[in-house]
Amino acid sequence: MMREGMSKLRFLVTRGKPAELDEELQFHLAQSIDAKVAAGMDAEEARRQALVEFGGVERTREQCYEQRPGWWLGTVEQDLRYALRGFRRNLAFTVTVIATLALGIGATTAVFSVVDRILFRSLPYAQDDRLVSFGLSQSLEKQEFTLGGFFFDWRDRQKPFQSVTYENGYGDCNLTESNPVHLHCIHVAQNFLPTLGVMPIAGRNFTPEEDLPNGPAAAMISDGLWLSRFNRDPAAVDKTIQIDGHAVRVVGVLPRDFEMPRLQETDILRPAQIDRAEQNKVNSGIGYPLWAFARLKPGVSVPEAKAEMEPLFLHTQQWIPAEIRKDFHLQVRSIRDRQMADAYKAAWVLLGAVLAVLLIACANVASLFSARGAARERELAVRSALGASRGRLIRQTLTEAVMLAIAGAAAGCVLAEILLRVFIAIAPTGVPFLAAARLDLRIVLFTVVVSLLCAALFGILPALEKPRAAALAARQTKSGGQARLRRMLVVMQIGLCVVLLSGASLLVRSFWNLEQQNLGMQTRNVMTVHVPLNWEQYPNGLQDFYLRAEAALRQIPGVTAVGMSDSLPPDGWHDGCRYADLEVAGKPPAPAGTGGSVVWRSVTPDYFRVLQIPIVEGPGFTQEERGSKEGFVIVSKELAARMFPDSNAIGQHIEHSVFNPYRMPGPVYTVAGVAANVKNGGLTGQDDPEIYELRSNLHPEAWSQHQFFLLETSLPASVVGPWVRQRVAQLDPIAPVEMDTISQQVSKLADRPRFEMALLGFFAGCGLLMAVIGLYGVVSFVATQRTQEIGVRMALGATRFDILRLIAGEGVGLIMLGGVVGLGGALAGAQLLRSLLYNVGPHDPALFAAASLLLLVVAIAATLIPARAATKVEPVVALRYE
Amino acid sequence: MPPSTDLLQGTLDLLILQTLAPGPMHGWGVAQRIQQVSKDVLQIGQGSLYPALHRLEYKGWISSDWGSSENNRRAKYYALTVAGREQLETELETWKRLSAAIGLVLSREASS
Repeated sequence: MMREGMSKLRFLVTRGKPAELDEELQFHLAQSIDAKVAAGMDAEEARRQALVEFGGVERTREQCYEQRPGWWLGTVEQDLRYALRGFRRNLAFTVTVIATLALGIGATTAVFSVVDRILFRSLPYAQDDRLVSFGLSQSLEKQEFTLGGFFFDWRDRQKPFQSVTYENGYGDCNLTESNPVHLHCIHVAQNFLPTLGVMPIAGRNFTPEEDLPNGPAAAMISDGLWLSRFNRDPAAVDKTIQIDGHAVRVVGVLPRDFEMPRLQETDILRPAQIDRAEQNKVNSGIGYPLWAFARLKPGVSVPEAKAEMEPLFLHTQQWIPAEIRKDFHLQVRSIRDRQMADAYKAAWVLLGAVLAVLLIACANVASLFSARGAARERELAVRSALGASRGRLIRQTLTEAVMLAIAGAAAGCVLAEILLRVFIAIAPTGVPFLAAARLDLRIVLFTVVVSLLCAALFGILPALEKPRAAALAARQTKSGGQARLRRMLVVMQIGLCVVLLSGASLLVRSFWNLEQQNLGMQTRNVMTVHVPLNWEQYPNGLQDFYLRAEAALRQIPGVTAVGMSDSLPPDGWHDGCRYADLEVAGKPPAPAGTGGSVVWRSVTPDYFRVLQIPIVEGPGFTQEERGSKEGFVIVSKELAARMFPDSNAIGQHIEHSVFNPYRMPGPVYTVAGVAANVKNGGLTGQDDPEIYELRSNLHPEAWSQHQFFLLETSLPASVVGPWVRQRVAQLDPIAPVEMDTISQQVSKLADRPRFEMALLGFFAGCGLLMAVIGLYGVVSFVATQRTQEIGVRMALGATRFDILRLIAGEGVGLIMLGGVVGLGGALAGAQLLRSLLYNVGPHDPALFAAASLLLLVVAIAATLIPARAATKVEPVVALRYE
Repeated sequence: MPPSTDLLQGTLDLLILQTLAPGPMHGWGVAQRIQQVSKDVLQIGQGSLYPALHRLEYKGWISSDWGSSENNRRAKYYALTVAGREQLETELETWKRLSAAIGLVLSREASS
């Protein structure tokens, strides 16, 4: 075997230069013999002496070969072929390394590509890091906003901003031409686009005249609308379109990547045309809500800007009724922070998980290379003895490492692309911009370089050590430092794995809780229908249309009940009021600013029937009461318990007081029932008490476009849908109809936790798999190294069980140590997950125990397999083992 | 180890170029000629000779061609190229300067 190895190595370090050189040398030798014969020597002696003088030919051959420029390129080819042969001989090692690298690179690249879009995406504005959003925030509206009553004052007196602009929210509008469509029109200040640093791709921005009250009607259209209506015809600019029945001139086209700072859908931008003086009169004198954005002056930071805005805020605060003053705060933050508030946490957790997986992968590759290096110590010593230079040996190992890394990287890129598609497919719509995530070349390069470095570093470590002469002679090769390194790596892997597994188990448990929770209402067989009407077409109010539509929908076969509401549980927009604003007649009001907020819905009696929300007390609403002058409400159990802790709620009167700007008497309602609690703060959010107002038919002005029909039907939506459209079209042929089912909406809400759980679960699985591979590799390597020792022990009378204990003991020790380290890390890391969890403590002992147990079982199995194999060794074979 | 390793690095190249200056010659001839001219002081073994010849050839200073030797053996003849001739002149120049300089240093050492 040695001899075979030698001949292979000889082939490696030398390389037969073609016969020419041999012939040349032959000639030299022949001439030499001739010369000696000529000098009088006899032929035999001349030949002998010439040969002695001549010396070895190999070295000459080799040196001649090395004179060739670029000769080392040939050795690269040799290295490659040698490495390939080595890989073929050691297929398990090769496959494991490539698979580990592929998993590491694939997962890391995919997740970085996703997270990059979320955390580090550049916004489509010039110098986006200088843009902020500012305004007030309060408990009912945590995202900052401003009001027309004070915004203009702030705008004129502020110092930290170079430019201040606003948009006044999201408005539905309809394109009232042939093929009418429902669009999103947003009204903005004239300097909106310049402040954001956005240039129209065609046409121009609004002129100041167009932003004056009653100025010329102008619109900028989105690239999407430009494509769908005008097929990107440049002549669209200056065309006139009909919006809600008015002629509006298209003045410009927005860039393709344009988006609003609050990410609303945008089809059309219109100048806001706000009359500043009017803002101090409308909406009880506080003005309409405006969302303000600004560009910081050079050198001003966000906290500095906030400090400079503080005096203006304090001034405005004086003007807020004292009762609720404390509830308002000044908020100034970058647009990115405003957009990503919710996504940050999930992104960081994802990043942490993937870094853990990358670390495990690197540790795995390192320990595999290190084990292989130790096993090859002797081979390296032999090659060194045969004349291979140290540089040459290092290059050889490096070549192998790089080849593996490249193979791993290639497989990793394919995996990354697949993973990314899976992520996008299962991602909830709530994660912004995920769908636009692409594999980022920089990230691919980064991870490839990391794993290359990792492989290279650990690949050449054994070669760097000058092969010891002892390694040649020693019958037993063992390298202590490397073995310690491998053990440490295993402990690290197990530790990281515990962290990942417990994190994943927390999310799985949390998701389970989420799915199993009682929403307090029926989600099956409920269809929702939303018909956003055009105000302009209904000068007499929308009530008439909605009542007729309600009656028409009842006629649909298979629809057993039709309810109406202005909002839908368990999530999404809903009206609300402060608890303190609800006064029970004859009782002192709750102290202002206390009690939080109350969800307010305007519903029809069938709302409770369709959603199967039980009325636990009282008669509830009746159809007749819809025409009554009296106002009726149903309160949720929670609200009843708080407002009427020791009396019957039914028949009590509740007054909804309003601030204008001082407390004034408001409408009074009679409590007609108490309904069971329903989730209304999203799936994970805190529920608020809820009050249902009976939608009165006597207040047509109170009906807005925000009306949902709830249809109870056992027929599938695909059957009922066309009938619904048909019925609505009979009433208003150009009214858009949007349909959904409650169960789909609820399922969408669970998308995000499902996404988080699936990802972390995937990473935990990857981590576990790789850690197990690493552990298996190390233990089986140790077992092989100790084969001889095992033979001796068995010859001396050790039982197979003793051997099992000897080999497995080492693995189990590592597992235990890693487990303890990991549990510590997991307990610390779980704090990070707290906000992602639902109804699970971040330190749930059962889950941590389960995660550790799972790891323990799998890891011990990975140890026992090679350990058992070690006990199967025949003592005689083991003793002879070289 | 052949004795020629004692030669200064690059000196062997110079010797070979100089030896080939009169006309093409095969490897054996080059070695013999150097030995004769140096009165048996410089003996070039094949282990140094052939790598040097190959090196010079790769550098383009000499070219090789197969021909038959004086005793009708097939032999590889080396000849100076134009570049080789220029190189020889440069190296001779360098060598003269160098040896003169070394001579100066050594004579001063000896006299002091």
